[in-house]
Parts: sequence; structure tokens; C-alpha cells
Amino acid sequence: MTGVHKFSRAEATAYGFLTVTLVFCLLPFVWVVLASVDPNASLFLSLPKAITADHFVKIFTAENGGRWFFNSLVTVGATTALVIVVGGMGGYALSRTNAWWKRPFLYAIILVRVLPPTALIVPLYKVMLISNGVMDALVRSIVPPDSIRSVMQIFGFVDGYLGLILVLSAMQLPLALWIIKTFFDLTPKDYEEAALMDGANVFQRIRRILVPLALPGLGAAGLLTFIGAWGDFLMPLTFISSSNLQLLPIGLFRAFQRANTIDYGYLSALALLYMLPAVVAFGLARRFLVQTFAGGIKG
Amino acid sequence: MATISIENVRKNYGAVEVIKGVSFEVADGQFAVLVGPSGCGKSTLLRIIAGLESVTAGDIKLDGKRINDVPPDRRGIAMVFQSYALYPHMTVAENIGFSLDLKKVPKAKIRKEVGQVAELLQLSELLDRRPAALSGGQRQRVAIGRAIIKKPRVILFDEPLSNLDASLRVQMRAELQRLHQELHPTIVYVTHDQVEAMTMADTIVVLNQGNVAQWAHPIELYRHPKSVFVATFIGSPRMNLIKGVVTSKDVTSSFTATEGWTVPLAGKNLAATETQSVWLGIRPEDIRLVDANSAADLSGKVTIVERLGAETYVNVVKGTETLLVRVRGDIALRCGDTVQLVLDRASFHFFDQADRVFPA
Repeated sequence: MTGVHKFSRAEATAYGFLTVTLVFCLLPFVWVVLASVDPNASLFLSLPKAITADHFVKIFTAENGGRWFFNSLVTVGATTALVIVVGGMGGYALSRTNAWWKRPFLYAIILVRVLPPTALIVPLYKVMLISNGVMDALVRSIVPPDSIRSVMQIFGFVDGYLGLILVLSAMQLPLALWIIKTFFDLTPKDYEEAALMDGANVFQRIRRILVPLALPGLGAAGLLTFIGAWGDFLMPLTFISSSNLQLLPIGLFRAFQRANTIDYGYLSALALLYMLPAVVAFGLARRFLVQTFAGGIKG
Repeated sequence: MATISIENVRKNYGAVEVIKGVSFEVADGQFAVLVGPSGCGKSTLLRIIAGLESVTAGDIKLDGKRINDVPPDRRGIAMVFQSYALYPHMTVAENIGFSLDLKKVPKAKIRKEVGQVAELLQLSELLDRRPAALSGGQRQRVAIGRAIIKKPRVILFDEPLSNLDASLRVQMRAELQRLHQELHPTIVYVTHDQVEAMTMADTIVVLNQGNVAQWAHPIELYRHPKSVFVATFIGSPRMNLIKGVVTSKDVTSSFTATEGWTVPLAGKNLAATETQSVWLGIRPEDIRLVDANSAADLSGKVTIVERLGAETYVNVVKGTETLLVRVRGDIALRCGDTVQLVLDRASFHFFDQADRVFPA
């Protein structure tokens, strides 16, 4: 026999199947990358004959891509921050309490994730619309008439940053609470008690002990929140109508929807831009996922 | 340095009473050990002294001042946790200096004091390490360092040696005693290990099911246990207990075991308990093996021989009773041998049906 490994029929079949699957999965990415720099990009996969940055330039000049990107970053960033803070405090409380409603509550919030958001979008919209009316009255009573619109674009519940941030947060919070609660379950109370004996007040205990200890859990929850909210399509579609508040996924969708001709180069450049933050976030926070799901506090 | 008084302390968790009216006192500079089986309430009591748990009733006093409502960090009490609870994200130096840092002590002064504590505990080489990179014994020393840097009046230890292996435990026991002699803090130390209690304590509080079973100097506890519980809990291996009755013939009382053998009671007056069933307690070292032709109290069959080197423990069976006997290390004995035993009358302990000792 030679040293060369001979594939058995079963192995060859398995590898063949895996290769086909791999190519099938990778093709869309390859197409997006190639098309984004191809001056003659089309729906068909082809190697670009020349390389251009025009599509990217178009995003920021001819179109309002910079603004969409900014809107996405602001709403999703604020959502992530809000979920980390609320989820951190709530997860801690849920971990430490022995209240009778703890289990029912934990299972109830999971329902928010289980039910398809589309099914609930109409009542949710109604709730947000009523809240928006209240907020509108409130804003009208404090700010001068000519700045009402710009203030409502930030604090409005419908067609405003705040509403979208709250809705996205509400969708992401259950999972974050579960992750952080589970993480605190693995974090002995001894650390806090030791800090208490050392003379740390409640803020010092949070800032110098709990937050550093919970960082992997908070990071993991934050990452999943960011990725989940960044990829959400239904909420920005439903709750944002002003063009200057548009988010990136909606911009991408509209670019695809244009009636006459589809600019595939521009479309894939925009898709690439849309993927980028999620990939960066994953790269930055990946180790928290590993720490959270593969162990707890060591030391 | 301070005196701690525990006065009629009770603690309920809902309907469950875990501490049922406990009182004792630890004098200034004393090393007190709270010992008892798991679930006896000893850790709860320690946490009450620390201020991490409230009391349901009763008072905790430090130098005569009631501290029930004083927050933990204002009591001048430091605590070493069973898990050590070293902050994993801080270095050894940061861990030890954390309490000073919280008090806004200048950095240079913290460094100096941490240096002194580290030297005392032989941690100087490890100051830049994280807890994860330390051995069990080193972590233990860091936890002690974090306690003593506060110059507390009282240091509490919650089963601090239970996570260490046997040889390290012996070493740390000696180190704790050295530390106590050098710094002289008042120490309250919780353990379930009576060997730790006996070797280190100035005073031992034996707890059982939320009550103080007995509170005394170690040797006093060993020599004069007030109950079957204390008699069998303190001392390793444990005291033998033999069931029987007190009988009397002429003027001398005797103890007759259920298995039929009798020993005269020299000097003990148990006339009042005649014909009552009692427990005779006798420690393994108070039973002697004698030659076949000497006078003996009873004879029995050797079933187990445990050789420890310097001494040997022998299980001798007489009917349904098994007696543990301590003998010389080099004794020639085998399982199945028949041996003659003599019991030391002066070391008898008698307990009544309610497990209380009869006053001698």
C-alpha cells in the first residue's frame, strides 16, 4: 500500500456532498464581493474585467447611503446599549431573586421571541401610534412650533428614533435577559459580599466588581442584540417613513425594488456595506460568546 | 481587637428556625472555633456576625456595643470566604489593596501597605498575578491578606481550609496560628472538621441543630463532654458508647453492659440511676489490651486492625457491640485473635437516655 489515503466510496460521497453544499453557501457572498467592484455587474456571476469603486461612491454621493448607515448605527447602537443596561440590571435581579414569579416571568418573556413579530405588528403599531400622540402633545407643549418635527424625529414613537429603538430593544431583551441571568447564576454571590465587607457601596460594587465579572455575559448579549437588531427588517419598514430616517436594510430593499433597471453593482456594494458592521461586531465580541457559553467565572 | 458577645441570637428563614437562641462570648484576641455538622447553623452565625445576614432576635455586641444595625463595612470586621472570593479581574496586589483603594488612600501608601502584608504572607513574588494563576494555598493567603490589610478588630473565617488538600491543610493550620500569634486579632473560625477546631482554638463552640451544644476550651470539651453529641463529635476516632445498666451489689455500683460483662465503678456515684439504662462512653485510648492470664473486664474478637505507624486502632467485637481500641503501633495482632480488655475507670463518661452526661 502507498501512503496516499484512498477514499472509500462512502467518504467520497460525503466529501462530494459537503463540497457542493459549501459552494452553494458561498456563492452569494462571492457574487456580492465580485459584483460590488465590477463596473458591468449583472445578475450572473462573472469575474470583473476591470475594478471600480464607483458603486461605493454612488452609495454616499448619488444616494443617501451615508445617512442610512448613520441611522442604522444610531438606532441599533442605542438598542444594544439599552439592552445591555436593562438586561444587565434585569438579568442580575432575575438571577438573585427567589420570588415566586421568577420562572413564570422567564418563560413568559421567551414568548416574545417565540411569537412571529409579523403577527403582532398591527396591535403593536396601534400601541405605538397612541404613545406617539401623547409624546406629540408633550413635545408641542415644550418646544417652539418650528422645531417640533425635528424633535419628534428623535423622540417620536412612530417615525422617530426612540420608537424604533424601544421596539427593537423589546424584541432583543428576552434573550439578553436569559443570557445575562444564566451568567450571573454562575457568578457566586461571594464576590459581592467580599466587596461589601471591603467597604464598597452599591455603585462601586456594580462598577468595580459586577460589571467586570459580567463583561463576557454582557458582551455576548450585546453582540447577539446588535446582530439581531441590525438584521431586523420588519420594524424599520413599519415604523420609519421619513426618507431621512431610513435604515440601511430598507435602502437596500428599495434599491432592489426599483421598477425600471436594477443596478446590481450598487446593490451589492450596499449589501457589502450592510454586512460589514455585523462582521466587525462579531470579530470584536466573539471571545465573549465563547466565555459565556463555554464556562463562567474562573479564578 | 475586640470582644464579641452573641446574646440569644435567633434566625428564621420563613418558618424554619436555623439559629435557636445562641449565646456565647469570644474574648479579645481569642481564637474561637464554631464547629458542628453541616446544617448546624455555624456559617449562618458567622454571616450574622459579619453583617451579611440580619438576626430575627437577639443581639450581637462588639466590645459591649450593639452592632445589629451597623453595616458590614463599618463593623471593623473582615471575613475570609470559603471560596476565597478573590476578584478574578484584579491582580493579587489589587485584590489585597481593594479596601484601601475604596477609602481613597493614596496610591503610594496602598503600595507600601500591600507590600508589608505580602511580605508577612510570603506573597511578594506574586503581586502581579491574577488569582487564576495561583495555587490553592496561595489564593488562601491572598484572601487572608485582603482581610488583615484592613487591620480589622475581628477576622471571620468560613471553612477556609476545606478546599485544600490534606498536607496543605496541616501547613495552613500552622500558618494561621503563627499569624494569630503575631497580629493577635480576635478570630471566629467556622469549620466542620473537629481536628481543625482542636488544633487551633482557644475556645470551641460546638453547635448542633441551631443550638450551642457546649462552649469551652478544647481540652475541657474533650475531657468533659456534656452530651453524647459533643462526646462523639470531638475526638478522632470517636468515643465508644456502650449500652447497659447501673447495678449495685453491697455498696459498690457496677456497670453491666447489655452484652453481659460488668465493670465496677470506682468513685462514681450513680446510685440514683440504678436499673436505668445508660450509655457508657470511653475513648479508644482509655482501653488497654492485657495478657490472657491477667484480670480483664471483657474479652472480644479482633475484626479490623488499622495500622497508622505510631499507633494502631483495633476493632474488638463483643456480641453486638464493637469497641475501638488504641494500641501501640508495633503490636502483633491479627483479625480473628481473641483479646482481653481493661477499661480505665477514671475515664468513664455516663450519659442518660436523653444523651446528657451524669454529673460525676
